[in-house]
Amino acid sequence: MTTAALENELKQTIIETLELEDVTPEDIDPDEPLFVEGLGLDSIDALELGLALQKRYGITLESDAESSRQHFANLKSLAALVESRREK
Amino acid sequence: MYRKLIERPWRARPPSAPFAWRPPGRSTRPDWIRVEDWHQRIGAWQALLEQHAAMTTTWLLFEPDPLEFSAALVAIWERGDSVLLPADNQPETVGTLRRAGVALGQVPGAASAGAGRPPRWLSQPLPEIALSLYTSGSTGEPQRLDKSFAQLDAELATQASLWPFEGRVVISQVSHQHIYGLLFAILRPLCEGAPIAATTCRYPETLLAWLACCRDDARQAVLVSAPPALSRLPETLDWQSVHPALARIYSSGAPLSRAASDLALACLGTPVHEVYGSSETGGIAWRIQQRGEAWTPFPGIEVRNDDEQRLWLRSPHLAMPETWQRQADRIRFAGDGFVLLGRADRIVKIGGKRISLTAVDRALNALPRVERAQALPLQRRDLRLAAVIQLSETALPRDHAARRDAVRRLRQQLAARFETPALPRYWRFVDHWPTNAQGKLSADVRQRLFQDLDDRRAPRWLGERPVDGGWCITLEVPEQSAYVDGHFDAQPVLPGVTLVHWAMQLARRLFSLEAHFAGLERLRFPLPLLPGDRFEMTLVHTPAHRRDAARQTSRHDSPRSEDPRKESLQLHCDSRRGRHVSGRIALTEENADVE
Repeated sequence: MTTAALENELKQTIIETLELEDVTPEDIDPDEPLFVEGLGLDSIDALELGLALQKRYGITLESDAESSRQHFANLKSLAALVESRREK
Repeated sequence: MYRKLIERPWRARPPSAPFAWRPPGRSTRPDWIRVEDWHQRIGAWQALLEQHAAMTTTWLLFEPDPLEFSAALVAIWERGDSVLLPADNQPETVGTLRRAGVALGQVPGAASAGAGRPPRWLSQPLPEIALSLYTSGSTGEPQRLDKSFAQLDAELATQASLWPFEGRVVISQVSHQHIYGLLFAILRPLCEGAPIAATTCRYPETLLAWLACCRDDARQAVLVSAPPALSRLPETLDWQSVHPALARIYSSGAPLSRAASDLALACLGTPVHEVYGSSETGGIAWRIQQRGEAWTPFPGIEVRNDDEQRLWLRSPHLAMPETWQRQADRIRFAGDGFVLLGRADRIVKIGGKRISLTAVDRALNALPRVERAQALPLQRRDLRLAAVIQLSETALPRDHAARRDAVRRLRQQLAARFETPALPRYWRFVDHWPTNAQGKLSADVRQRLFQDLDDRRAPRWLGERPVDGGWCITLEVPEQSAYVDGHFDAQPVLPGVTLVHWAMQLARRLFSLEAHFAGLERLRFPLPLLPGDRFEMTLVHTPAHRRDAARQTSRHDSPRSEDPRKESLQLHCDSRRGRHVSGRIALTEENADVE
């Protein structure tokens, strides 16, 4: 899967998992922060998203908050995480 | 002139006295319905009740016609039976209540009274509980509220002494299935011997025509209204000419905005008497906003507040008149009255964090260009906040990009004061505050506003208002709509046929449409709608068959098809970009399964 295709898949996952009503894939800038100031996601969303990644790609996240924060910084870093760790 | 309900004022009125005023129809002149005519209706209901009496002593009554309603109510009381008044006749509302009693009136499958016959006054004592009402559910599930004759009589006596009707025609714009309409538009006229208008007055144009009739007849009317009607009075009508005919205006159900109060005074020429109360408490206080925002308690009602500013009430309108009872509203004393400070703090937990909805509400309402706002908890996977925001016409977002900008800006403005989970995720931008007929953002209106979240085939509903012969509904195309296909296409659009589908669904509710889709006539889709577009859908229903003029004013009548004239639904959708659809949907009684 190309990076662009994976990014699109992740955009769709974010929109559907988090039930973002008015966000389209084009609205998600791969370099923009996902949390707080960018897409405006919060700690509950982080949990939901972690769960979705686990189900879909078999990824287990580290327990330390700092590395999670880095993975979830923006769509690019999220795609990198999935590419390097996916088991499905 | 005033008599208590327990003295059965319906029996004693002179047979030839006017009971109701039948307003003019399209081709009929106004006339009077006498007490003896109405007594015949009581007799008709008594005969109907007699037929079913072996099955029940509890009746479920939903009847929009005030004459039939009052006749049925009296017939039930004369038997000494119990009556439940559901808030509406939606299948969900009525469904659960059907087990409690036999349904009467405009409920599917319910019995209605036949031909008139003389009433029989028996010596049966009146029932212990006069009637049971249901709350609108604006704060949760609808609750049943029993009212005794003592409670009702206490309130009716207060009103009669404060503002006697003195034989004026009572024109109502509200439902009498709720406490305010019941007291002001049915029971007060009954106890005070004032004639009522024989149908509910739905539109400002109708009101103007009726008032003109009263003026020509050298009569005066009293208007029983509510915020939804009073805040939408068109200033362009010639109200001035009917000022002498209108003696007083009442409003209740929700507070009227100061702007709407001023508009009503300017148009109708007499100040609005607002009544503050609830189904549970009955009337508590009243005000005329041009004299100040403070409410004056009704005679006999005691109010105080506690250190949380919560209102405490001791009132003869309550079931326990001697007991102080704590209310959800907060008040501050001002002069001889009090000012409402809003509901006591509402706390929700989102992601384990305690969030005060009251604080979010206050912050939203303080934002520039926000005319009115309310935060609502939505039960999604986790609890999430939604917000309904009323903006001025010019500030409304009208497409996807503008909506995203508006949401982003609002969230940024709130972010300084609240943690991210407290920021609303779901936003509805409206130009009129969306309410039910009682002026409340009730559970069913909330459900409608957010229905698209649960049903990917539904449009995003943002309000509706009656227009001549039909309805104008404000909608948005949800970005995640099942009908918007191909997120990765260059320009996803909403297929035009979806608008026809939405029009049919809305028409079923708004016109109680039972007919089926039969085809499209001269339908044009000049301009496609895009995801996120805001637009107005106008629907005008032409029934196949129109009966007598009096029935035309009731929009809840289902059309009949004995007449060959075709039933149809006129449809057009417009946005600021232009016209998106226009044409006609042909309808038929036959289910052709084309839809």
